[in-house]
Amino acid sequence: MHNVVQLHPQALLEQRRNEQTSAIGMMVALGSWGMMFAALFFMYLGLRAHTLAWPPPGLPALPIALPSLNTVVIGCSSVALVRALRSMREGQRRPASLWMLATFVLGLAFVGLQTLLWWTTWQQGLTPSTGTLGTVFYSLTVLHALHVAAGLAVLAYLLGMTLGGRSMAERVTTLRLCGMFWHFVGGVWAFMFVGMFLL
Amino acid sequence: MQGVMTPADIEAAQHLQHIHETPKSFVKHYVFSIDHKYIAKQFLWAGLLFLFFGGMLAMLIRWQWAYPGEAVPVVGNLLFPDTQGAITPPTYNTIFTTHGLIMIFFAITPIMIGCFGNFCIPLMIGARDMAFPWLNLLSFWIFALSQALVLASFCVELGSAAAGWTTYPPLASQVGTPGLGQSLMVLALFVTGVSTIMGAINYITTVIRFRAPGMTWFRMPGTVWGLWLTSILNALFVPVLGSAGLMLLFDRHFGTQFFLTGAAGGTGDPILFQHLFWIFGHPEVYILILPIWGFVIDFMSFFARKPAYWFRGSIYAMITVTVLSAVVYGHHMFVTGMSPLLGQAFMLLTLVISVPAEILFLNWLHTIWKGSIRLTVPMLFGLGTIFVFGLGGLTGIYLGTISTDLYLHDTMFVVGHFHLTMASAAFLGSFGALYLWFPKMYGRLMNPFLGKVHFWFSTVGLTLVFGFQMLAGYAGQQRRLYDPFQYSYLEGLQDLNRFTTYCAFALAIGQLAFVYNFFYSLFAGKRASQNPWELGTIEWTDCASPPVHHNFDRIPVVYRGPHEYNHPEVLEKLGRDWIGQTEEFDPAADAATSDEVAATA
Ligand code: HEM
Ligand SMILES: [Cu+2]
Repeated sequence: MHNVVQLHPQALLEQRRNEQTSAIGMMVALGSWGMMFAALFFMYLGLRAHTLAWPPPGLPALPIALPSLNTVVIGCSSVALVRALRSMREGQRRPASLWMLATFVLGLAFVGLQTLLWWTTWQQGLTPSTGTLGTVFYSLTVLHALHVAAGLAVLAYLLGMTLGGRSMAERVTTLRLCGMFWHFVGGVWAFMFVGMFLL
Repeated sequence: MQGVMTPADIEAAQHLQHIHETPKSFVKHYVFSIDHKYIAKQFLWAGLLFLFFGGMLAMLIRWQWAYPGEAVPVVGNLLFPDTQGAITPPTYNTIFTTHGLIMIFFAITPIMIGCFGNFCIPLMIGARDMAFPWLNLLSFWIFALSQALVLASFCVELGSAAAGWTTYPPLASQVGTPGLGQSLMVLALFVTGVSTIMGAINYITTVIRFRAPGMTWFRMPGTVWGLWLTSILNALFVPVLGSAGLMLLFDRHFGTQFFLTGAAGGTGDPILFQHLFWIFGHPEVYILILPIWGFVIDFMSFFARKPAYWFRGSIYAMITVTVLSAVVYGHHMFVTGMSPLLGQAFMLLTLVISVPAEILFLNWLHTIWKGSIRLTVPMLFGLGTIFVFGLGGLTGIYLGTISTDLYLHDTMFVVGHFHLTMASAAFLGSFGALYLWFPKMYGRLMNPFLGKVHFWFSTVGLTLVFGFQMLAGYAGQQRRLYDPFQYSYLEGLQDLNRFTTYCAFALAIGQLAFVYNFFYSLFAGKRASQNPWELGTIEWTDCASPPVHHNFDRIPVVYRGPHEYNHPEVLEKLGRDWIGQTEEFDPAADAATSDEVAATA
């Protein structure tokens, strides 16, 4: 039942240390990723600063309801993932799988709602080539959604492993890294929500 | 992991890093290797190949500036059959653009960071491998993919990239450079960026986590410090270039308008690209010099047989430069019409960088002052690096000052400046490193005479070529001109340009000494002993030449810094002028220092 506790103390120590090493690597990676998004934001702010009015005259304002809902969705998915990791650490297979499943479904819902958002704006006549608004809106949200999709792929893999009865102790590190990435992607969304839809 | 060295800690360190089994299959050993030493060699070969490629492009540029529009001798008809061997203006644009990009991203970066980062970091800090060996493998093969993209960009219609290495839109948009080549090159930059970041993640984490017991931060050699700081800059600023490249690709292919305006049709802003490019670009120049500074700190001490003068000061200086390099990028944009106040701020910050640079410089000179200098090949290359870097650094001050830059901007003076600092210093430093570590990498010695021939051709050649370029720039010659002498005010510079070209050809011919030496030594060089240079860093004292697959049977314990030369007590008791970092000398004294370190850690 409690896989982790069954490990030999020396092995446990090693695993902890290796996990820590991986986490440091992930933090560096996320720093990099953050700079990539920061550059995109820089571009958005630069372009917006040049425009007299926002949204630029003749273009529809971006919707607010859907993105708000999506903020809640992705926030909940992060919480679910925290719970999944905790259960996995404690070696509880069923709750771990369920929380992971919840994360996955919420993430999928996020991508679905984003697609709906794009569809709506497209209907209103906003395309990637309609001025700076279309340019930044589609580029930023699509790039972000691709990151969510990548996170979903890893989650699906981990879920499969866990349901397939593989040792959970070995997957704790991967789930933790996946979680770091997931929270990061959620954080980027929060920035985008405030910067692009609220303000 | 820190300076604490209880037996339990030393024991724990042995278990933290597993001993990977030596791979038996050919593919795992030679193609998809996860061994940092082998990946280093892969980067070396990939980089040297493209160094040759980029060098040939440089020769074409030089020919064009000496004899504009005339048929290129020997290879002309082969390369440009349509024009009987002459370089056309569009071809010329492609040549200087790809020369810059190939040299920076696909030649120097893999050799200096890919090869020596991989080879030196684990060995010099006493680790069995990188923290993430699989990521390391991936990093090389993604890099190889990016090189393949570069080659592919030459094979498509309209040829490869032609918008300058800075890739400014609108020139780099579909309007300025139609054709797939430009896009493929930008994509190659993105892909190579991914590889670089993967490398950086590995280097940063490995240094933080895998230092041998007793290897405190200030016991790390300058080489490791330089590579580590460079990795931090890589991790933070390469993604900015990646972002800018992505947006450029979106503009080119998905109809967005980030950088398109005016005649290019759109409401974007091309100047913002310049911001993003230089937010990356200025740190990039320090990315390419920090490892070199690290090498030089070590080489001066190694071969003057003296401790590095104020080693901590040098490290603090490097850290300061690393931080400052993030906030000076505006000096590349003085003429874009930025607010004068902002310009002044950038000018001030830029000039402040010369203070830490000066500290490093003085420390190097102090280190060799009254040393028992051994003029080995790596030492010569180190001294050459100091010389060309000094010249280049001094000319940076003229460019960093707005009033003089307004005149000098976009002239050959800038080209000379950055070739002395970035190109020459990186070139000489990297070759110095190759001469130093070749025996450890391949277990054979290189021929010192040929090495010295290579050194003199390179150092004198580089100094003359780029010195004369600065002269031409000072006289008003703009950079990137297809035929500078069609302007009557530049006609007088034709002889200077020709002479510079002859120097460049001599420089290229001198490289043959290296090529011969490298291949000959690889197969038939004298066998190297474990420590042919008599150095004290771990890779020489604790590893065979070449090291075994897992580097160390037991992770070594470190007792002192990397530069203990001519210590009187060591001389007296051991009868030699050096002592290894891992050598137990006076157990009582060593234990005392380690307790001290433990107390401060
Ligand atoms: C105290 C030191 C330095 C100062 C004050 C300085 C200043 C400058 C300035 C102001 C420019 C812009 C000139 C213009 O375009 O008008 C410039 C260009 C450049 N510098 Fe430096 N620099 C210094 C050291 C270095 C170092 C160490 C490197 C590389 C290792 C380097 C590489 C470059 C490159 C690559 C460019 C221009 C690239 C281009 O426009 O294509 N510089 N430098
Ligand atoms: Cu700069």
